[in-house]
Amino acid sequence: MKNESFGKKILNFIGNNSVPILFVLICVICIPISGFSASYLINEIVTRMGRNIFLILCLLIPIMAGMGLNFGMTLGAMAAELALILVSDWQIWGIPGIVLAMILSIPFSIVLGTFCGKILNMAKGREMITSYIISFFMNGIYQLIVLYMMGPIIPIKHSNVKLPRGYGIRNSVDLIHMRQYLDNLIAVRIGGVKIPVLTFLIIGVLCLFIIWFRKTKLGQDMRAVGQDMNVARDAGINVERTRIISIVMSTVLAGFGMVIYLQNMGNIATYSSHSQIGMFCIAALLVGGASVDRASIGNVFLGVILFHTMFIVAPKAGAMITGDSMIGEYFRVFISYGVITLSLILYETKKRKSKSLVGQQLAQAQKDEEEKA
Amino acid sequence: MNKTRRLLFQIGAVLILAAIAFCMMVIGRGHTVYFDNKILEYDDETYEPPYKVTVYVGGEQVAKLNAKERGMATTIGQDFEMELKIMEVKGGDETRETYQIKLPRTLDGIVVNLPGYLAGLPEEAWMSEFVPIVTESSEEEEVPGGDEFEMEDLGDF
Amino acid sequence: MNETLADRNNFTVRDRLKSMVRNFGLPRLIIAGFLLLLFIAAPFVGADFWTQISNTINRFSWNAVMVLAMVPMIHSGCGLNFGLPLGIISGLLGATLSIELGFTGPVSFVMAVAIATPFALILGAGYGWLLNKIKGGEMMIATYVGFSSVSFMCMMWLLLPYHSPTMVWGLSGKGLRTTISLEGFYDKVLANILQINIGNLSIPTGTLLFFALLAWLMWAFLHTKTGTAMTAVGSNPTFARAAGVNVDKMRMLSVVMSTWLAAIGILVYEQGFGFIQLYMAPFYMALPAVSAILIGGASVNKASIGHVILGTFLFQGIVTMTPTVMNNAIHMDMSEVIRVVASQGMILYALTRKTEVTK
Repeated sequence: MKNESFGKKILNFIGNNSVPILFVLICVICIPISGFSASYLINEIVTRMGRNIFLILCLLIPIMAGMGLNFGMTLGAMAAELALILVSDWQIWGIPGIVLAMILSIPFSIVLGTFCGKILNMAKGREMITSYIISFFMNGIYQLIVLYMMGPIIPIKHSNVKLPRGYGIRNSVDLIHMRQYLDNLIAVRIGGVKIPVLTFLIIGVLCLFIIWFRKTKLGQDMRAVGQDMNVARDAGINVERTRIISIVMSTVLAGFGMVIYLQNMGNIATYSSHSQIGMFCIAALLVGGASVDRASIGNVFLGVILFHTMFIVAPKAGAMITGDSMIGEYFRVFISYGVITLSLILYETKKRKSKSLVGQQLAQAQKDEEEKA
Repeated sequence: MNKTRRLLFQIGAVLILAAIAFCMMVIGRGHTVYFDNKILEYDDETYEPPYKVTVYVGGEQVAKLNAKERGMATTIGQDFEMELKIMEVKGGDETRETYQIKLPRTLDGIVVNLPGYLAGLPEEAWMSEFVPIVTESSEEEEVPGGDEFEMEDLGDF
Repeated sequence: MNETLADRNNFTVRDRLKSMVRNFGLPRLIIAGFLLLLFIAAPFVGADFWTQISNTINRFSWNAVMVLAMVPMIHSGCGLNFGLPLGIISGLLGATLSIELGFTGPVSFVMAVAIATPFALILGAGYGWLLNKIKGGEMMIATYVGFSSVSFMCMMWLLLPYHSPTMVWGLSGKGLRTTISLEGFYDKVLANILQINIGNLSIPTGTLLFFALLAWLMWAFLHTKTGTAMTAVGSNPTFARAAGVNVDKMRMLSVVMSTWLAAIGILVYEQGFGFIQLYMAPFYMALPAVSAILIGGASVNKASIGHVILGTFLFQGIVTMTPTVMNNAIHMDMSEVIRVVASQGMILYALTRKTEVTK
C-alpha cells in the first residue's frame, strides 16, 4: 500500500518535471561524449550564469500577472543596445559606462514597455503571439533608428561606431572599454574557475527584490490579475494598469540584463544581438521546469545550468557522433524550439483539462441542486 | 495627498537617477593618452628627448620608449597619473618619478610630448589633440537589407 | 433648399467614406495609398513602369498559392497559420526527392507535387490533431511547431542519404546544399506556359492560371456542403456542433488542406525563383504570407479569395517597388525597414481587433 503511493508519487514527479528530467538525461549522455574537462565546463557554465540569469529573471513578472512568456523582452534588449551605442560613442568607459547605460536604458524601456503593454491589453487571451509579433515590429523601428536616424538626427561622432557612409551604426560595436568590467571588479578564482562575484551579487539583489515584490500590494494585485481578470476587476483592481506595469517592469529589467549580458560579451552585434535573446531566455526558463503560468527563481537557476550545459556540449557531442559539427549546432537550436513547443502544448492541454473539469463540477453541482429541489 | 506624495517620489527618483547619470558621464569619460618621446621645438628652443623612457600607469608598464617613439595608454576620468622611469643617456642612471596631468574632458585622444612636459613648459606646448587618420576602407559593411526576411544566424549565445 | 440637399449629400458621402475607412481599416488604407504613391512616383524617379509592373506580377505569381494556404484554417477558426513552414517542408521533401529520383524537366515538377502530397497529408494530419488538442492557443503553438520542424529538418537535410550530385555538397559528397539550382529541372515550368512578352512587360500566364485553378477549387470547395460546414465551425462552433457537424474533423480537414497548399505553394515559388532554399530559409516564410492576406482585408477569423489576390498584390507590390523607387528617389534603401514595419504592423493590427464572434 505504502509502496504503491510511493510509486505513484514518483510517477507524478516525473510527469510534472518531464522537461528538466529529459534535459538531465541529454546532458548526462552528451557530457562524456563531448570530452570536455570538468573545469572547462564549470567555468563556462558559471560565466553563462552570470551573463544570463538577470535576463531570464525579468520573465517572471509577466508570468505572475498571467500574461504568459514575455516574448517582448526583446524590447528591453533593444533599449539596452541603444543606450550602449550612445554611451560608447560618448566614450564613457568602465563601470561608469555600464551604470550610465543602465540608467539611459530606463526611459527607452519605459516607452517601449508601455507601448507593448497597451497593445497586449487590446489582445487579451493571445498575449504571447502578440508580444512575439511586437518584437518583430519593434525590430523594424529599431533598424529605422539605428540604421538611418543615428548620424543625421541623433549625433554619432566616432567612426568606429558609425558606418563609413556617414549615417547608421556598424554591424558590430566594440565595447572593449566596458568588457567584463562588472565581472572583473570583484572576481574570485577557485581552482581555475572565475566567479564574477559582483554580477552574482546583483542577481541576488534582483532575486530578493522579486521575493519582496510578490508580497507588496502591487505584487498581490498582479497575482490576482493573473488568477482571474474579472474577479480582480470586481475587487477594485485596475487590471489594465497593473498589466502595463508588469510589462514595463519586465522590459526595464530586461534592459539591465542586456547591459550585463553585453558587457560580458564585449561587443554588440547591432542588428542581431537582441533577436534571439528572447527565444533562448524563454527556452532556458522552461527547461528549468517552469510553465507558462508558473515560474520560480529556482526554475531560472536550474534552467540556466541545464540549458547551457546542453548548449555547450551539443555541438561537440554532435560532431563526435556524426562527424559533422553543424549537426550539433542545429540540434541545440532544435532542442530550444522543441522545448518551447512542448511546454506550450502541455500548458494549453492542462488549461483545457482544468476548464472541462470546472465545467463538469458545475454540471454536477447543478444536478445535485436539482435533486435536492 | 497620496497622489502628490507619489508624484514627489517619482520626481525625486528621476532626479537622483539623472544626477547619478551625470556623475557617471563626468567620472567615466575615457581618454587615450599618447606619449611622444620626440624632439619638441618651442619658443625657438629645442628640447631633446631622453634616451629611454619607461611609462607605468597604475603600476603596470604600458610603454618603453626610445627616442622618436610613441606609446599609448587608456585611462578613465580626467586625473591621469603616470610614473616615468627616465634614462637620459645610454647606460646612465635611471630616475623614477610620478607625474599627474589634468586631461581636458572634451578630447578623446591626447598627445603628450614628454621632453616638453618634463621641461616644465606651459600646457599648450606639450599637449595636443590626437586626430585619428580615417582610413577609407573600400569594403562596404554588410548591413541588413536584401530581399527576403532576415534570417537570423545561429550565433553563439 | 438646394443647399440643404447638398449638405445632406455631403454628409452621407463623408459618412460613407468614414464607414468605408472603418471597414477597410486604416493601416490597410495607408498601405494601399503608399503603393499607389510608389506607382505614381516610379516614372518620375526613372524606374520603368512596365518593368515594375512585370516584377510585381511575377512575384505575385510566386507567392499567391502560399497566401491561399491561409484561407482554410482561417475559415475553420484555427486562426492565422503561423505553422506554414510545416507545409513548406513537405514541399521541400517533394522537391528534393523528385530530383534525387532522377526526374528532370516539367516531369520533375509533377513528381515533386506527387511526392510532396503524402508528406503534406501525414504532417498536416498530425498537426491538425495537435491543434485540436489545444483549441484557443493555436497561433502561438503553430509558430513554434513551424520553428521546431524547420530546425529539425536542418539536421535531416544533412543526415538523409541524398546522393544526387546536383544537390549535395561537392566536397564531402553528402549533406544537401543550402541552395539548389533548378536549371534543367522545373525552373519556370509554369511561368513559361503561354508567357506573354510585350516590350518590358512579361506575364507568367501559366503560373497565374495554376493559381487561378487552385483559387477556383478553393472557392468551389467553400461553397460545397463541407465547405459551408467548415465556415460554420469557424464562426460559431457551438452552433455547428448542435447542427451535427463534427467540429474536430472539420478543423483537421482545414489544417490538412492548408498544409498541402503550403507544400504546393513553395513548389510554385521555387519554379518562379529558380532555386530550392533549404535549412533556415523556410523559417520566417509564414510571416509574409500572413501579413499579405491581412493586408488584403482578411481578419483573424474571416478571409476570402479576394483578400488573397488583393493582399498578395499589395504586399508584393510594396516588396518590389520600394527598393527601386526609394533608392532612386532619396538614395537610401529603406525598403527593408518599411516592409518589416508595414507587414508586422498589419499583423499586430489584426491581432488587436476584437474578433466578431466569441467562442
